[in-house]
Amino acid sequence: MTKKTTKLPETGQWPDRVAPAVLVAGALLTTVGFLMAFLVVPPVGGAAVGGAELIGGSLISNKLLISQKIFFFHMPVAMVSFCALAFAAYYCVWFLVTREQRFDTCAKIAMEISLLFVVMTMITGEMWTRFEWGVWWTWEPRLTTYLVLMLIVIAYLVLRNMIDEPERRATFSAVIGIIAFVDVPICFMVTRLIPSSIHPVVVREGGMSPEMGLCVGVIMAGMLCVGFALYRLRFRQVRLEQRVEAVKELLED
Amino acid sequence: MTRSQKAPAARPAAQAPAPAARPQRPSGFAQYKTLLGKDLRQEFRTKEMLVSMGIYAVLVIVVYGVALSFARPGGEFLEVSGGLLWALVVFTSLLGLGRSFAAEKENGCIEGLLLAPLDRGVVFLAKATSNLVFLLVVEVIAVPLFWFFFSSFAHPGASAPLMVAPLVVGSVGIAGVGTLLSTITANTRGKDVMLALLFVPVIFPLLYACVSATTAALVGGDALADVFGMSLALAAGYDVIMILASWVLYDFVVS
Amino acid sequence: MDAAIEVRGLTKQFGGRRAVDDVSFALPRGAFLSVFGPNGAGKTTLLRMLATLTRPSAGDIRVGGVDAKEEPDAVRASVGLISHSAMLYPDLTAEENLLFYARLYGVPDPERRVLELLDAVGLRHRRLDRVRTFSRGMTQRVSIARALVNDPAVVLLDEPYSGLDPHAVEIFDELIGSVRAERTFVMVSHDLEKGRALADHVMVMARGRVVRFARADELDAEEFRALYRSTVGTGVA
Repeated sequence: MTKKTTKLPETGQWPDRVAPAVLVAGALLTTVGFLMAFLVVPPVGGAAVGGAELIGGSLISNKLLISQKIFFFHMPVAMVSFCALAFAAYYCVWFLVTREQRFDTCAKIAMEISLLFVVMTMITGEMWTRFEWGVWWTWEPRLTTYLVLMLIVIAYLVLRNMIDEPERRATFSAVIGIIAFVDVPICFMVTRLIPSSIHPVVVREGGMSPEMGLCVGVIMAGMLCVGFALYRLRFRQVRLEQRVEAVKELLED
Repeated sequence: MTRSQKAPAARPAAQAPAPAARPQRPSGFAQYKTLLGKDLRQEFRTKEMLVSMGIYAVLVIVVYGVALSFARPGGEFLEVSGGLLWALVVFTSLLGLGRSFAAEKENGCIEGLLLAPLDRGVVFLAKATSNLVFLLVVEVIAVPLFWFFFSSFAHPGASAPLMVAPLVVGSVGIAGVGTLLSTITANTRGKDVMLALLFVPVIFPLLYACVSATTAALVGGDALADVFGMSLALAAGYDVIMILASWVLYDFVVS
Repeated sequence: MDAAIEVRGLTKQFGGRRAVDDVSFALPRGAFLSVFGPNGAGKTTLLRMLATLTRPSAGDIRVGGVDAKEEPDAVRASVGLISHSAMLYPDLTAEENLLFYARLYGVPDPERRVLELLDAVGLRHRRLDRVRTFSRGMTQRVSIARALVNDPAVVLLDEPYSGLDPHAVEIFDELIGSVRAERTFVMVSHDLEKGRALADHVMVMARGRVVRFARADELDAEEFRALYRSTVGTGVA
């Protein structure tokens, strides 16, 4: 998207011009997906509840229904957060190769976006777990992986605050960004492959119906657009700040 | 104030030896041995790190003793003990790793190393090895001590000695990744907190696999057959990938 | 002619900031260059680049005709650095420290070389004592021995006087004088008098740029003092 090996990402390049439009498009797509999820896509076998029922001491009429619907948001958000992490790692590598501050800025912002989406993933995931399994938390592979991902992203951002010297900060955080990107898939594999004797291994849905797939696809596209637009907007803000700082310094001299 | 106006004539004992004896760059392995020997000699002289890690391990066991004092002994303890053991290892290694690089920073020694014609990967390997040695020494003391205090709770199965394998594999990974992370955090504010913050999530997969393998070894029976090999293989896989990554990235961290 | 140190277009920048900006100079073999400048002028960064501790953003460094970018290890083998931090392990003895560095550089017959160096800095009798027990001045002497362990053709000095008492400074100057032969020196110092006394080349830096580079004997003392005051003085205030 923003990668041009010959040219550094800078504000005012074409992505900035399309960013607002993309944001609107993303919002529209997400809304369409949202409506689809509730109005068009039929619940998967037996997920509908006929009338109100007493579950867990409270009157619930749509428990499973909601857990189904949450999934439509949970998955795209989770994918986008990992995408953002991948982008951050990509920029981290570029930084280490070129030692260009711009890539450090890009990596940092991608990480921030990643954190935003990871938090959303965690919230939707919690809700899903609560509705589906009746507990707020379980050490299920995906949840665990995202918890670790969230912790690493937070650690990355905290680390940036703990180092004053700009170049050192950029180098160290780039290294951590790459380590995070390598670590997270391993984490998923390890938690997935080792059978747990204490918790039941959750077998997820066998497959998605075409409507479901379409709906998830639409929301996914929407979320990607939103993520991209947010990234560009934040990038613009940070870059302008940096340029103001540079001008200030020049004036001081 | 002396003002020796650029007088190379005044030349006491120090004579520049013949430049013919230009140093030959030694092999990476020789340098590795030199670095490792330095770390070991320094540590076994002061015993600073070993003693503090050992005491810390004992203290964690004491805390466990309090935490478990109202628990009912029985077979369930075996399922928990693997995890407890690894919590002990993780916290103790955090303490050691935090210190391992402090010595290099103290007098700017790390710069002295980097001034030498020396591959940065060698520095990483030597440091990781010395961390591994210290960690294993502490484990050799702490693990039997753990069972000494908690043998009244449950007796591990016959396959218990197999847990040496996950302990070694886990320690290798901890030392490798920990060396990279502690080098990074030695240069930050709030070193120890920062190290823990980075170390625990990054080490998570390894920890998970090692706890699984250790528990399997302790419980024995079906669990052993089902889980042990797979967990150990995953832990070893983690070691290979992460140590390789750390080794490659180390160059950027030190310069 | 081959210069001991040849620097061309050397730049270190990160983001918009240029710590060292397009610095070029050449230093003949056996010269002693003193670098002056206010804090943040880029003196230390320049020195660290010469020592291959910091990677330049642009430009070339040649030490003894060897390109630092292409063969950093060859450059490292012929450079020694003395700074205000001793780079010695406090819990090893003086001899162990020096032996350690000698082996790292692959010095032939390290034991003999280390004894020679300890003789030279006058600390042979303390060679079995831990560096921790040494005074600041003695530590700095061991540090000089450490920097000379690989018999470097180029010696870099980064604020070597900081923390030394007058007596230690005296010994330090004597030592430096005694190893001057054939070696090339670059020193960064705040001490104007000291820097001038030892040097035969002088460089003044400000904001990463070279303000003046000259042979000491070409430079009028008064003119230099005025220049120093104007750059260093204003830079600090």
